[in-house]
Amino acid sequence: MNQTETAIEFKGVSKTFGNFYANRKLDFSIRKGSIHGLIGENGAGKSTAMKVLFGVQPADEGEILVNGKAVKIRNPVHAMKLGIGMVHQHFMLADSETVLDNIMLGHEPSTFFGLLKRGKAREELEKICKNYGLKFTKWESRIRDLSVGEQQRVEIIKLLYQKSEVLILDEPTAVLTPQEVKELFENLRKLKQEGKTIVLISHKLKEVLEFTDSVTVMRRGEVVGTKTTSETNEDELAEMMVGRKVSFTYQGPRRILSSQAVQPKSVLKFISERVSVELRPGEILGVAGVQGNGQTEFLKALSNPSVYGEKYFKGKYDYLVNGREIGDATPLQLRNMGVGLVPEDRLSEALLKQQDMTENFLLGQHEDPRYTGLGLFGRMINRNKVKAAVEKNIQAFDIRPPFSTVWTGRMSGGNQQKLVMARLLDPQPSILLVAHPTRGVDVGAIEKIHEAIMMERNLGKSVILFSSELDELIDLCDRMVVFFDGRVHGEFARKEFDPWAIGKVMGGA
Amino acid sequence: MNRMMKASLKSIAGVLLGLTLALIVCHFAGESPWKVLKVLFQSSFGSGYDFGMTLFYAAPLFLTGLAVSIPIRAGLFNVGGEGQLLIGALAAAYAGVVGKNIASPVAAVLFATAFAFVAGGIWGLIPGILKAKRGSHEVITTIMMNFIAAGLSSYVTLYLIKDPESSQAETMLLPEAFHLKPFEKFAGAPMGWLIFVLIALVFVIHYWMWNSVRGYELKAVGENEKAAETYGISKQSAWMFAMFMAGGMAGLVGVVEVLGNAHRFKLGFSADYGFVGIAVALLARGNILGIIPSALLFGILQKGSASLDLETDKVTRDLSYIIQGLIILGVVAEGLFEWRKKAKNA
Repeated sequence: MNQTETAIEFKGVSKTFGNFYANRKLDFSIRKGSIHGLIGENGAGKSTAMKVLFGVQPADEGEILVNGKAVKIRNPVHAMKLGIGMVHQHFMLADSETVLDNIMLGHEPSTFFGLLKRGKAREELEKICKNYGLKFTKWESRIRDLSVGEQQRVEIIKLLYQKSEVLILDEPTAVLTPQEVKELFENLRKLKQEGKTIVLISHKLKEVLEFTDSVTVMRRGEVVGTKTTSETNEDELAEMMVGRKVSFTYQGPRRILSSQAVQPKSVLKFISERVSVELRPGEILGVAGVQGNGQTEFLKALSNPSVYGEKYFKGKYDYLVNGREIGDATPLQLRNMGVGLVPEDRLSEALLKQQDMTENFLLGQHEDPRYTGLGLFGRMINRNKVKAAVEKNIQAFDIRPPFSTVWTGRMSGGNQQKLVMARLLDPQPSILLVAHPTRGVDVGAIEKIHEAIMMERNLGKSVILFSSELDELIDLCDRMVVFFDGRVHGEFARKEFDPWAIGKVMGGA
Repeated sequence: MNRMMKASLKSIAGVLLGLTLALIVCHFAGESPWKVLKVLFQSSFGSGYDFGMTLFYAAPLFLTGLAVSIPIRAGLFNVGGEGQLLIGALAAAYAGVVGKNIASPVAAVLFATAFAFVAGGIWGLIPGILKAKRGSHEVITTIMMNFIAAGLSSYVTLYLIKDPESSQAETMLLPEAFHLKPFEKFAGAPMGWLIFVLIALVFVIHYWMWNSVRGYELKAVGENEKAAETYGISKQSAWMFAMFMAGGMAGLVGVVEVLGNAHRFKLGFSADYGFVGIAVALLARGNILGIIPSALLFGILQKGSASLDLETDKVTRDLSYIIQGLIILGVVAEGLFEWRKKAKNA
């Protein structure tokens, strides 16, 4: 790497929180004019490293060299002055303002009297787009009217307008369809040709392998190594990330579903004007789609029709479980009918963070006669029984730390999710509504969770699996429906699974 | 247990910090801090009468402390203890008017207690319903309910059940059966078996909160509304229930005051018990059992303040309010420190 210049170099950078090292002596460099991947599991320290670089959090030790010069980056404004820009995972745009105003924000060209020169800004932007070969014309549209992919492009153009030389993108593909991903990377390649440096934070090995020039792997706050992308492969990177050999696809047994093809009766049926879905016995039905295309509303209506049936489907729908109409059932009634739920957002919907595992295990099971009974002061909880059940599940699911008294807010995402899965399966439901079971979960726990879901299927239970990871759906599902614009836009049987074709439907084709 | 120990250590540290600051203030006011401490101690525990009075001041705080702590579990901040206790006391006095023919003391006391509990409960339930059905913020509505309660209690006292023979703003004297007997050892301080009942009540509420399904639901709603809803716990019903219980608890102050002390409703009897209850609950850090030492401490300060006024030259009754204020600051400031640590780590 001597022949080319270095844009960014980390030299022994450490960042601690209390006595916990989020980053420990990071040493790596990013070549100017390259696309550099930064990968690692959740909590490996990727985001912290980039926050240090972007000036959000100062480093405790070590130094950062920008264009070969050591600098102490004080805050994001300082970072921007040094030519470092960042596209956050959640876009930092004002929804109700126009694209132009959003881009100008903070760098407004103005007259002597403080009036904005929008025309001048627009000219400049059009020039930038031409120079870098980016297609964009909707300068006067409001952000909320743009697709997610377009919003992302606005963020990138904004960085170019601010004359950033180094562009950091934090998990940029999480919300895109395969087609949009391809377009994004085509654009990034053009930027690279014009001499920009791009840092790609990701946990998806495939895209890192496909689109980067070099890649740095992090694990537990440390840099495991930096590789030239063309000289490495998925298995090697995965092993570096996790610290042991892993398989990313489910490789356990998969019971053949023979009889249902002949008699496709359904265990769950939801029929409305826009969304009609049937779940057959013993299958995993995937629900795919770009975030925000009606999957959330569908799941809410399925899991709590008493509240969300009216709210999202105006009461005009039929919802049958095992042939019984249950259009306005409460979550507890659904549970008693054998429907179990893993909600979309673990932290905000599934857990009481400041309570221990026992209390969390009770959530939703707080009226289960196995754990509660009538006592002197009304219905009382039998904590000994709950505790015994929790301890059994800690063993079965290998939840760590293995103490029922630990606050769930202090557990890792993977262990939290294992607890949610354990709670789901405890009453032995026959229908499982599972949403994003592996979001923010480390690779080891992903294997365990996929295994658990597959095992339930192989036992003849039926599952609806919501996920934004197309690979996960393709791997596990027997059938898939794709949501677009609030309706079911396509359906695929397992033998027709093809990411490209599904992606097209996700994009509305 | 460990967590609870830590929390109580923090509260004790807060109290000591506040007390130290207060004594420094005394020192600069020209009074020996040592003497101030001695007077505080002696006037609270020095004789049977003193101790009885300390308990009498602490008793309403057990109840108003509960009235704040129970809704905190469900994520609500009840500032309406004062209004709820006024309505409860008024109802207790009214029970004496309605039930003047009840001869059995046990029946009479239970009758008045039920009146006080339900009336206070309804006064608490109203903001609860407004919150559940309309989303009105409970802090605003409970404050407003305090004003209404103050006006209502004046009106009822002065125009509906005023004692015609008294020149003061007070209701008619309750029949003998409604009077609670104080301990003779307390030499005139108006406190008897009731104090044990109240302590038992705190234990029962603690046990119930921790072990009942209803208590679990309150906790779940207080900690994560969305998760509670997702798993079939109605926040509306939890809120209404918590506010009814809270109002009921505050309403029981009517039993302490009307049945135990004045045997009638006297306008202005409450020494801001409803508001001091907030401080009691804060000092207890949401722990229900913590209300017992916390209410006792504030009882001591209340009792001691009168004596400080008489027995020292420079320090007045107001000092005890300064001490109370500084203690609350000590506790809360320590909480702020905790919060800052969290923010930094996030």
